Amino acid sequence: MSESCKDKENPLDIDGSNFNSEMYLECLLKCASLRQVMDKEAEVVTQSQFLQSEMQTLVYENYNKFISATETVRKMRSDFQIMQEEMNKLSENINNITQFSAKISDNLKESGNNVNRLCSTRQLLDKLQFVFLLPTQLNKAIQENRYVDAVHDYTHAQRVLQKYGDQPSFQSIQTECSDIICDLKKTLRERLLTPDTSASELAESVGLLRQLQETDSSLKDIFLKCAENRLEQHLKNLNAIVENVDLLEWVEKCNNTLLADLAIVISCYHDIFQDSDNAYLPEFADKVTTQVFNLFQEVVKKPENIGTEILIRGLDKFFRKLQAMSEIISSDSVFNKAQDVVIQCINHKATMQYQVIQTQFKENLMRVRQSLASKGTEAADLKEILNSLQIHLMQKVQASLLDLIAFLQNKLSFGLKPWCGRAVADACWTVISETLINLSDMVKNMASMQTSNNIPFELLLILAKLCLEIQENGVTTLHSHLLKLLEESAPGLTVKDRDTNTVMVNLSTAAQTALDSEVVFIGQMAAQMLRVSVLARDWLRAPEPRGPRAVCRRVVETLASADTAASQLFPTSIKPSSDSSRRTIWSRAPSSFSPINRIFSERIEVFSPAGADRAALSNGALKVALKALVECVRLRTFSRHGLQQLQVDVHFLQQRLSCMGNDERLLNALLEDALASAQIRCVDPQLMEPSIVDIICERG
Amino acid sequence: MEEGNSIIYGLEHQTRALSPQYGESDAIRFLIGTQSLKPNTNQVHVVELEEDTGALHTKVFKHDIGEIWHLRCSPHDAATLITTHNFYDLDTCQCTMGVSIFRLPSIEVIPKDLDDLSAMQNRNAEDMELLKTITPEKPEEEIRCAEWHPTDANRIGIVLDNYVSIRDSSTGEQVASVAPEGRTRLKFTGGKWSPQGHSQFTVLQDTHIKCFDTRTDCSKPAWNIESAHRQLARDIDFNPNRQFHLASAGDDAALNIWDYRHGKEPIFSRTDHSHWVWTVRYNTYHEQLLLTGSSDARALLTAAASICDVDDDGKRLSQVLEDGVLQSYEQHEDSVYCAEWSAAEPWTFASLSYDARLVLSRVPRHFKYKILL
Repeated sequence: MSESCKDKENPLDIDGSNFNSEMYLECLLKCASLRQVMDKEAEVVTQSQFLQSEMQTLVYENYNKFISATETVRKMRSDFQIMQEEMNKLSENINNITQFSAKISDNLKESGNNVNRLCSTRQLLDKLQFVFLLPTQLNKAIQENRYVDAVHDYTHAQRVLQKYGDQPSFQSIQTECSDIICDLKKTLRERLLTPDTSASELAESVGLLRQLQETDSSLKDIFLKCAENRLEQHLKNLNAIVENVDLLEWVEKCNNTLLADLAIVISCYHDIFQDSDNAYLPEFADKVTTQVFNLFQEVVKKPENIGTEILIRGLDKFFRKLQAMSEIISSDSVFNKAQDVVIQCINHKATMQYQVIQTQFKENLMRVRQSLASKGTEAADLKEILNSLQIHLMQKVQASLLDLIAFLQNKLSFGLKPWCGRAVADACWTVISETLINLSDMVKNMASMQTSNNIPFELLLILAKLCLEIQENGVTTLHSHLLKLLEESAPGLTVKDRDTNTVMVNLSTAAQTALDSEVVFIGQMAAQMLRVSVLARDWLRAPEPRGPRAVCRRVVETLASADTAASQLFPTSIKPSSDSSRRTIWSRAPSSFSPINRIFSERIEVFSPAGADRAALSNGALKVALKALVECVRLRTFSRHGLQQLQVDVHFLQQRLSCMGNDERLLNALLEDALASAQIRCVDPQLMEPSIVDIICERG
Repeated sequence: MEEGNSIIYGLEHQTRALSPQYGESDAIRFLIGTQSLKPNTNQVHVVELEEDTGALHTKVFKHDIGEIWHLRCSPHDAATLITTHNFYDLDTCQCTMGVSIFRLPSIEVIPKDLDDLSAMQNRNAEDMELLKTITPEKPEEEIRCAEWHPTDANRIGIVLDNYVSIRDSSTGEQVASVAPEGRTRLKFTGGKWSPQGHSQFTVLQDTHIKCFDTRTDCSKPAWNIESAHRQLARDIDFNPNRQFHLASAGDDAALNIWDYRHGKEPIFSRTDHSHWVWTVRYNTYHEQLLLTGSSDARALLTAAASICDVDDDGKRLSQVLEDGVLQSYEQHEDSVYCAEWSAAEPWTFASLSYDARLVLSRVPRHFKYKILL
């Protein structure tokens, strides 16, 4: 049972529509016990009886309803007859009413016509009265400055007057009116020309005049001239406050007064002279805007407007207004000029930036110079100084790049324009290249200022290294940094293949100049000591040598201190420097002073470009110093002791200097040349035993 | 002497003194003085280049009064010369410098007959006639050089350590002296008569060039060029055609040309040598050609055309030569202390190095044609 109840379509469901009695019975007989069948039978019987009685009640109820319905129908049939009679009476009455109404309207027709005629007469009379009263009306209106009303009235009346102007009565009115209108025109023009009328009043006046059929071109002229006067007044005011207010305030003022007025003037112009060609307007707008731009540039260049934020905000406001203006004027030149203003601002900013960087770098250099000078003999940490200089410079450049990139912010009216992006990219590159070229120029200048030997040689080394470092890494770092910044703020924008080469060449020549100058400086310092000592001494009366002369120690110290300084910045490269500069002096096998040997040895160039390498720098200084020794020895005459003293000196120098540089042959060649020259210049050329020289050197 | 080929003449001793024979206008002749401390070994060599054959003829004269530091032929007489010499006295162990005027027995060098030739081949040193020897007031004073007055044959200027003594060449008397006031420690390195005014003597003092008028008390220079070189100034030469131009050379390896009326900045400057420049000479006929000798063992022929081709208003008249080195002469193997143009022929010059090598060279033909045509 329970299973059969589950399915609604089950044929075993006694209440379902698909009930199959036989199946049900069969099923019941199959599944239930006798007792259950008996119970089921009793249940079915009671249910059948209940259904039977219910059916009987339903039949009775329906029967009663049917009887009452028949009664109602019968009653309705008798009522309809009375209604029919009433309707007939009504239609009769309606017919009577129609007849009466036709009669009445016939009677009233004549008097209605009369009334109409009277009305039109009255209107005509009104008009005539208006015309006759017109002169006084006009006068009154004009006196009360209601020019709009006056002109309105006049234009109304004008048609009539023109139509009937040949009749004498109207003629007088017409002449009177035209006199008045002439006066009105005059006053309007006067009003145009007075400077203190506002732009809207101006527009109104011109509109009126135009309604009074003034010719367009002269009106345009007057209109523009007046507008120009007014704008000039604004310009003057703006010019006057340039000195007193900051950029934002100025732009605000400019936007609110001058540019707002200009916009009104232009839109009025368009309204009034709709169809006329645009010949005058762009020219006029150009003239005004040019002046405004010049003023703006002036404001921008004021020192207190340097801040990027204020500049950008002011520029943004200004540009927005101009953009709106240029749409009104629909002239490209104003827009182009507005672009130019922005670009010029960017360029101006860039110029400021690299100038600031340069002055700051100079200040830093001054500080370094002072610290180097005050340190005295104590060795300074050149590497640290170099690092701080370099980092400072790079940071400054990067900061200024960021500053310039601020011009590309999305929220700015010009921020996303491609031309602006290009200008910013250009300006950024200008900052980088100008800074670096300025740096190289400065280094070159400092290096060539040899006469005033105030520049410590350490500084020259630092500057040379700085230039080299920037040339090797800095340029590309900055370049890629710039590309990254541009990519972030304006994707797709690139710095077109910039001339990094020129910058690098500049830097490397600057570095070379600084190195050369350092080498010559150190070399000359030592050379000067040797020269003075050789020339001042009386070598003929020299006593027997007891040790190397003090000057030799000083020379060694000088060269050594330069060597130490160089070693901080220019570590020795592993491969020996290919010193291509050997000429002039002849390095040769020891103790041989014969011209034949010279032919087979190489020359040594004394003042020659120095390599960026500790050993090469020391070689350079050694060459300069020792060649000077050779030349000075040749100018003197030596006694035997003098020669021996020089022998000791040379030996000492050889011992102490051989650790410097990397070209021992060069050193030996020069020192032997010095000794050989002394031998030639000696009246009694007898050298000491090398072993004794050794002992004397050690003792000294 | 064909294109590019130089003629080399070697001597036995070190040399520092060279002079063209100013009084001679036909033969290309140079005089060389040797520098040797050994007694009685010093000589004066007269070298003549035979232009047609390119042959070199020499004559040797004894100079027994010491080693020669400086030598100048007289512009007034081809046979007369003046030497600045140094003599070492073995007994006193002291050096004494002096200035002597000699006359050559004959100026002819090219042998006329076989006797002459054999004498020449023997190279027997002849004697010169010693006209006058002038010694400084104090024996230990060093003499830098002695210069003939350009017009007055009786007047010579002797540059010493710290003053210039103007002497009468016949009597040896001092007629004037140039000693700047203050007695500055800075010593003189050389000097020359200025070609203008005939009484102005220009000296090199350390890095400065100063000109004194010998008619005044010489306490203040008539004009000067302060710091003409960054290091010592070694030599000057006056432009023979432009009276305010002079060339200077110095230890900063630079060749500078100055207009001494505006002595702040050189009007021309080159640093082509790689060591001290010891000598500079204007070509007597073509002022745009300059000859320099340096201790980098080179003689350089330099063109300074840009400042010579201008007229009075500073406009370029023509551009014949590019500025800069025209030719480098590298036949020397030691420092070149002297280089001189021939007095007789505008295109020939001699350079002398310390290792006693005289090199006679010519301006390359194409430059010569460029200048002439």
